[in-house]
Amino acid sequence: MDYKNIEQLLERYWRCETSLEEENRLRDFFTSGEVPAALLPYKELFVYQKEQQIEGLGADFDARMLSKVESPVVKAKHLSLVSRFKPLFRAAAVVTVFLMLGNVAQRSLFHNDALDYNYNNYRDTYDDPNVAYKKVSSALLILSDEISKSNNQNSADSICKAATDSVMNE
Amino acid sequence: MQEISFRKDILPLKDKLFRLALRITLNRAEAEDVVQDTMLRVWSRRNEWSKFDSIEAFCMTVARNLAIDRSEKMDAKNLELIPEMEQATDASGPYNLLVQTERLDLIHQLINKLPEKQRTVIQLRDIEGKNYKEIAKVMGLTEEQVKVTLFRARQKVKEQYLAIDGYGL
Repeated sequence: MDYKNIEQLLERYWRCETSLEEENRLRDFFTSGEVPAALLPYKELFVYQKEQQIEGLGADFDARMLSKVESPVVKAKHLSLVSRFKPLFRAAAVVTVFLMLGNVAQRSLFHNDALDYNYNNYRDTYDDPNVAYKKVSSALLILSDEISKSNNQNSADSICKAATDSVMNE
Repeated sequence: MQEISFRKDILPLKDKLFRLALRITLNRAEAEDVVQDTMLRVWSRRNEWSKFDSIEAFCMTVARNLAIDRSEKMDAKNLELIPEMEQATDASGPYNLLVQTERLDLIHQLINKLPEKQRTVIQLRDIEGKNYKEIAKVMGLTEEQVKVTLFRARQKVKEQYLAIDGYGL
């Protein structure tokens, strides 16, 4: 290193005639390695300048600052009619699933009771045709009785109604 | 013009602003408050960011003004230099690390003892490495005034330091 050059630079530094680059060279010279005795008194001045460049604030400052500046903004959320009733729809869907499961279970459990509309599958209930005939005729008799009873009731009702109407008209 | 982001362009200036505020207030807690106030103030004017030539220079100016206000309010507890000088000259041991640390302390005190303008100029030029134009902008002076102020500051530090150091050795 050309010490003469450094001395000249230093002189110009005191007179404020150095450029930023020249001042950087001075700092580098005084902070790195050997400094001749004649220039030693100035060493700390440049060491100090370099040391001060690393002074600063911690990362916690950033967090604090950002929390002050970028405060969370509460935005109004637009709710459509569908989204508003969404929970209700969900509940309905769950209920439907349960009902369907119940239905399926019921069908599979009581499958044998289902009506069979295929007449070819029918089998005789009685071995003796006479017994079967009697059973059927008695059943039909009961049916006939009931029908005639209800017919009588109906006609009695209509006579009664007609009578009431004629009385009212008079 | 490029869009300025708080996170990318302004927040990283915190260390520079802190060092400047510290140089003026001479108090770390106060300096940190100054940086925070500066950033909040700059944030509140975010609509005008695009109008500034240099957002850094603007931040520096705001920080400097706030720091000066604060140090005036604190009644700027000026360092008593004389007792410290005497203490510093007591270090008559070998030229070792201890002496170096003491010398650095001495320089620190000498610079901090300067008037605010000279301190700020030294800070911006010798520590932050700003050119005269930028310093002039931050401080609201002409380049010539900045140069004169820097000259006086350097001369004062040099004279006092050599006097004390020469006497101490």
